[in-house]
Amino acid sequence: MVEANQLFKEFKIQSVSEFFRRNAAMLGYTGKVRSLTTLVHEAVTNSLDACEEAGIPPYVRVEIEELGEEHYKVVVEDNGPGIPEEYIAHVFGKMLAGTKAHRNIQSRGQQGIGISGAVMFAQTTSGKATRVITSTGGDEIIEAWVNIDVDRNEGKIIKKEKHPNPKGWRGTRIELEVKNVKYVRSKQGVYWYLKLTAIANPHAHIELIEPDGKLIVFPRSSDYIPEPPVEMKPHPKGVMTDDVYRLAMKTKKNTVRRFLIGEFSRISDQKVDELIEYIAALRLIKTVEDKNLQEQYYQRLMEGDVKAVLRAFDGYTKVVKEVAKLMEKPPEKLTWHEAEEIVQAFKYMKFLAPPTHGLRPIGEENIEKGLKEILRPEFVTAVTRPPRVYSGGIPFQVEVGIAYGGEIPAGFDLYRYANRVPLLFDAGICVTTQAAHSIDWKRYRVDDLENTPLVLMVNVLSVHVPYTGTGKQSIASDEDIYNEVRLAIMDAARRLQNYLSGKHRRLAQVRRRKTFEKYVPEIARALNILTGEPEEKIREYFINFIESRFAALESEEVPVEEVEENASS
Amino acid sequence: MPQAKIHREKPKEKFSYDPKKVLRMLDEHARRVLEDIKRGKNPYFDIPMRGLNNVYFDEESRLIKLGDKLSRRYFLNVAHARKFMQTLIIMAYVKRLVSEDKHASLREAYYANKHTIPGTHENTFEDQSESDPIIEDLERMFGVLREEMNLTADRRGYIYGDIVIRDGEDEFNASKLGSGGWAVPGTVEHIQFSEINVDYALVVETAAMADRLIEEKYSKKENALIIATQGQASRGVRRLIHRLHYEEGLPIIVFTDGDPYGWYIYSTIKLGSINLAYLSEKLATPEAKFVGMTMDDIKRYGLENVTEKLKGIPPSKKGGPTGDYKRIIEEMNYPWFQNEEWQRQLKLALDWGVRIEQQALANKSLEFVAKEYLPEKINNGDLLP
Repeated sequence: MVEANQLFKEFKIQSVSEFFRRNAAMLGYTGKVRSLTTLVHEAVTNSLDACEEAGIPPYVRVEIEELGEEHYKVVVEDNGPGIPEEYIAHVFGKMLAGTKAHRNIQSRGQQGIGISGAVMFAQTTSGKATRVITSTGGDEIIEAWVNIDVDRNEGKIIKKEKHPNPKGWRGTRIELEVKNVKYVRSKQGVYWYLKLTAIANPHAHIELIEPDGKLIVFPRSSDYIPEPPVEMKPHPKGVMTDDVYRLAMKTKKNTVRRFLIGEFSRISDQKVDELIEYIAALRLIKTVEDKNLQEQYYQRLMEGDVKAVLRAFDGYTKVVKEVAKLMEKPPEKLTWHEAEEIVQAFKYMKFLAPPTHGLRPIGEENIEKGLKEILRPEFVTAVTRPPRVYSGGIPFQVEVGIAYGGEIPAGFDLYRYANRVPLLFDAGICVTTQAAHSIDWKRYRVDDLENTPLVLMVNVLSVHVPYTGTGKQSIASDEDIYNEVRLAIMDAARRLQNYLSGKHRRLAQVRRRKTFEKYVPEIARALNILTGEPEEKIREYFINFIESRFAALESEEVPVEEVEENASS
Repeated sequence: MPQAKIHREKPKEKFSYDPKKVLRMLDEHARRVLEDIKRGKNPYFDIPMRGLNNVYFDEESRLIKLGDKLSRRYFLNVAHARKFMQTLIIMAYVKRLVSEDKHASLREAYYANKHTIPGTHENTFEDQSESDPIIEDLERMFGVLREEMNLTADRRGYIYGDIVIRDGEDEFNASKLGSGGWAVPGTVEHIQFSEINVDYALVVETAAMADRLIEEKYSKKENALIIATQGQASRGVRRLIHRLHYEEGLPIIVFTDGDPYGWYIYSTIKLGSINLAYLSEKLATPEAKFVGMTMDDIKRYGLENVTEKLKGIPPSKKGGPTGDYKRIIEEMNYPWFQNEEWQRQLKLALDWGVRIEQQALANKSLEFVAKEYLPEKINNGDLLP
């Protein structure tokens, strides 16, 4: 038998970086095509977020250079605010560091793993450091080569140079060298990713230079820069014990009461008083031994009858006073069990719906612009639904765009987004796919969905999108989200239906008119023979007649008078 | 029994062919279309409807006649526009034919006017089944025969006998053209009869029987004109029969097989047809009479062993009546067969389940039909109405 000491000789604390190095798939680095797309995604996402937070219309340029067999240099350059010199190592080198992870905010990336993951992926496949060129618009441009010290989860600048910045350039350019990846123009490759990104971000100008030197431009189609997202406090219905416990440890407030009021949305002084009663009631109910009776009390509590439940117990005021004391102690003294009690009480209480001002939809107008500019369709429409709540307290919102005809090839396509980020993988299990296919498209005059030139885009936004896995490529089938996506699609589809009906009517009218016009020369020739009147004149009479009849029709919108010629046999 | 020889009667109609009438009709209709379109009205043609719904049997004249139901064919109507165009194309074509005094067959008329409409993949006429009905429409619309519009069908049928015919610049005697006689053209409107030396016309269903009668010199001996229809009588033959009867006073006697098809041929000659009801007054000859074959002939001439069985299932059997049986029952219900004699004949056919051909008379001898059967029945007035 091996001694424990022996075994633990090999024990080593693994750093966060080390963990992700070994589990790159969790960050989306799986497969040669997808790895490259993920890399570009992390860089472009950072650029877009930075520009938006700084209020700058984004200009992002992606360049993929082929250096050898499955060996590329990826360059991403933006016109964003730039990175101050002292933060460079942190931004690119340390996992779980960033400006967003600790805030309850809607953003493209969340954990601050993204770009450092990319740097690490480059480093572990090619052995090369990431070159960063950045300036905040001041006198100098910084050029730095960044490596990650995997063991210590720290960025290391291995070389740094400073250059003058006479033209006042501002922005960030990063160059990563990667191996074991492949550039393919597939629906899961970089081209497709950028195209979808451009649609959802019409305020961004995005360029791509492919390995063969081809330049592709997705131009900006909207001047509107989305407002930077706003931090939102968590809603009591959307928190778990751990959230309350951790927040309590971190807060600067000095009592539990003030902590609850200050760090959560929709909690007031009165609500805390109510909370006290609920916690007291829950404690008392737990003492009941008869399961049936206990169940009845829980039921009445759920109905909001907290006062009646309390009065059912002798000496309940004592318990209430105990709980009230809890509210006045310093938050850092809150025990795990007490946090649990608070969260349990939240489940029984009623709160106003969470605020939604932190959600940043693309907006109907901008979705239409994006779809129009990139897809050049014949018809486009968009629907942004009002915010809703899922899972009791997490706000979310759904947007849908439909583009039809024009340069869109025949066949149905679904473009999925979460917080404006295109989702390219795992389409089958995504709630948006399920919702899109649950629609009876025939009702909207789309008779043959698989052969109709139709693009449906769905954007689900939330401070917390429920992804199905760590790859963050598909949205879980939450019933509230499913229903909302369906309603949004049906809204947009109704507008498509109106357009198609009108189009059918107009087409029928044109076809009908042509039917008459094509016979006119034949009729004129015959009538010329029969009456001697000049052919040209007769043609004119007929054309004028058709013209005036159809003009009258269009203004009245009534069908041509059709007198059926009686059947002959 | 005194011999009641059949003789020519007084004429009832005059030769009335007038090509100007067609030209007048064309002009009238085309001008009205032009006037309508000039004034911003949707131009149309009113065409008497065809089909059983617009056909009735007129008891007084004993003719199948066309009713007065019209269908209006508009230019500005998706379902009509093409036919409207076709109507005008044929009208223009007829105008050229008539004014140039040329004749064209229905097939020629189709090919002459078929072409691709410029700027489309569509033809003015896709096949002859599109042009033929337009021509019939014009007949009904103008009340003239297509023959009067110089549009002819294939010729079928021939005549033999001592009559002198003027056809254009030619004049000839129809008994001096060899044993084949004179083939009746599609159009007989322009034909004139310079001389007629026969007492009646015998209309014969089959060419074989007509040939037999010519060989037996029947027409000379009995002073009769033989008209072979070769099956259902063509319009030319029917028109010829009509004219011979009404313009020349010739009694018409029809000789067909004793079967439902033969009797139907007779009824068409006599009363007109449903398809051409609008022309009955020009094609039909209600005074025509029927000499045979009848069911009575079988018994009277002992022809029992040369009959043939009717085809189909009799009404008494399961699944019946079909085939010949069905046809006979239909004919029994025709208003023009509503008389005692015909009902009796048709009922006999049903009861016995037999039919008898003209040629069955050869069973007696080759000369029998010419020497005994026909002279006997005709001179005795032993005819069906």
